Amino acid sequence: MHELNWGIHVILYLFLAGLGAGAVVVSGSVLLRKGGFGSSRFAVARCGALIGPIPVMLGTFMLVFELGQPFRALNLFKVINLSPMSIGSWFLAAFIFFSLLYALTFLPPWAGPGDRLARMRRTLAWICVPSGIGVAIYTGILLGAMPARPFWNSPILAGLFLLSAVSSGVAAIMLMGAFFRRKSTDPAVRDDYHNSSYLLTATDAIILGGELVIIFLFLLFAHLTIGDVRYAVAEILPGGQLAMPFWILVVGFGVFVPFVIEIIEIRPKLLNGGVFKSRMAIEVVVPILILIGGFTLRYVVVIAGQISASAAL
Amino acid sequence: MNAKQKKLASRRGFMQKLLGGAAVASAAAAVPVLTTATSEVEEKQPQAKHYGMLIDTRKCIGCHSCSVACKAEFDVPLGFTRSWVEYTEKGSYPNVSRNFLPRLCNHCRHPQCVDVCPTGATYKRKQDGIVVIDTGLCIGCKYCIQACPYDARFLNPVTGFADKCDFCIHRVSKGLDPACVNSCVGGARVFGDISDPDSEISRQLATNPVTVLRPGKGTEPNVYYIAADHSSEHENKRGWYDVRVTTHRREKKRR
Repeated sequence: MHELNWGIHVILYLFLAGLGAGAVVVSGSVLLRKGGFGSSRFAVARCGALIGPIPVMLGTFMLVFELGQPFRALNLFKVINLSPMSIGSWFLAAFIFFSLLYALTFLPPWAGPGDRLARMRRTLAWICVPSGIGVAIYTGILLGAMPARPFWNSPILAGLFLLSAVSSGVAAIMLMGAFFRRKSTDPAVRDDYHNSSYLLTATDAIILGGELVIIFLFLLFAHLTIGDVRYAVAEILPGGQLAMPFWILVVGFGVFVPFVIEIIEIRPKLLNGGVFKSRMAIEVVVPILILIGGFTLRYVVVIAGQISASAAL
Repeated sequence: MNAKQKKLASRRGFMQKLLGGAAVASAAAAVPVLTTATSEVEEKQPQAKHYGMLIDTRKCIGCHSCSVACKAEFDVPLGFTRSWVEYTEKGSYPNVSRNFLPRLCNHCRHPQCVDVCPTGATYKRKQDGIVVIDTGLCIGCKYCIQACPYDARFLNPVTGFADKCDFCIHRVSKGLDPACVNSCVGGARVFGDISDPDSEISRQLATNPVTVLRPGKGTEPNVYYIAADHSSEHENKRGWYDVRVTTHRREKKRR
């Protein structure tokens, strides 16, 4: 029996922190973007900014209480060293602080593009995007830093976690957007909604495509090598203990199916200059699939890393 | 402080040399150590010692007295071990063997656990190369436990901190051998200063074929083995001969 030192708390933290950081990164990038998509950009940015900090804080709380001695976690801030966890916790602290401020700038009822908080909002977005990327990517570096864990010991894991985080963030924004959508007969409002939906769907399709490429590269290079890594990756290849959740929930329903649906949706506007109409069913089902896939990815990676080991003593 | 330790630690070697008849030479060598007057000695001091262990598995009888002595020495909680003995059983009748592999923290030259520790709670002591845990800083995040290729660490359920072998630092600093060495009935363990070419361990390392565990991980362990069986259960995949490893750490498999 292999010991699972990192269990569900860590898995949930990796998922929630990635989701929240991804949502804020998308929000900030959309806000800072120049031109195109009119005021619909602001709605997306607002949605992402308001969602973002909540799961990150929730995940952090779980992680801190999992220690059993919550206040010991303050020791992390006595030093900075090159441990990925040390750098990550500084990023996380900065991200939580600034993303909360960033979210506050969207809270007033009069908040809108070009109001008196606009300048501060942009400044905070410039801080939140890099620190959010830091939070999303450090978790992959943290796992990847250990030669003792051949499954994790891959530089591409950090990239996979980053893309998965951003994609989960987009999914959360889409889901919240669909959930809080106000029915309107005003065509301008509806156009805005379809515009922002197109922006999110197109972004997500690119990211999911990237995720597929990274998963392919991860498996390919694990298979091309010999020794520890190849033994370790056998856990998620057909016949391995985690093959089912990995291929069905992560690769199949978590990445591939949403990717195909989104490509079909955006194709008319992207390639033929057609009209993009967002559909409620897709706006709800696709994000839920992506979120399930994002969680299962963290689950599979964290467990597979701990049940596989180096072959030779 | 440093000078005092140095003085204590070198007393035994000093006396031996005196008794050996090389009185003049040793006196000349010992003078700067005892006085620590010159700056040259100050510079040399951090590199003064590098503790290591050599385990001759041919002399090990698999009796677990090292594990028991270690548990008694540190009051290690039930079900956890800082020092343990693995049994490797191979082959099928009549071509079979059982080999014993005593295990402990390797006090590596490049300790992965130290690299990943976010608070600096675990570090390698400059004066003797022992990897220790500062429980005042440890937060119990288990990162070091994940990072150790030897699975030498565990989370102490009583204290909530990471725990592992520390070469019996409290005994060693008083000039005693670690508890496992002291209790070994077969005399399989040799503990000492590897950086001193005249030490027993250095002599045995130089005159025996030795191996370390998982050399491919680049950790450069300071625990050496003579005639260790490096077989692992991965070899069962080839199906040529059976290997069964019993770690004697509850249900834990070797990692």
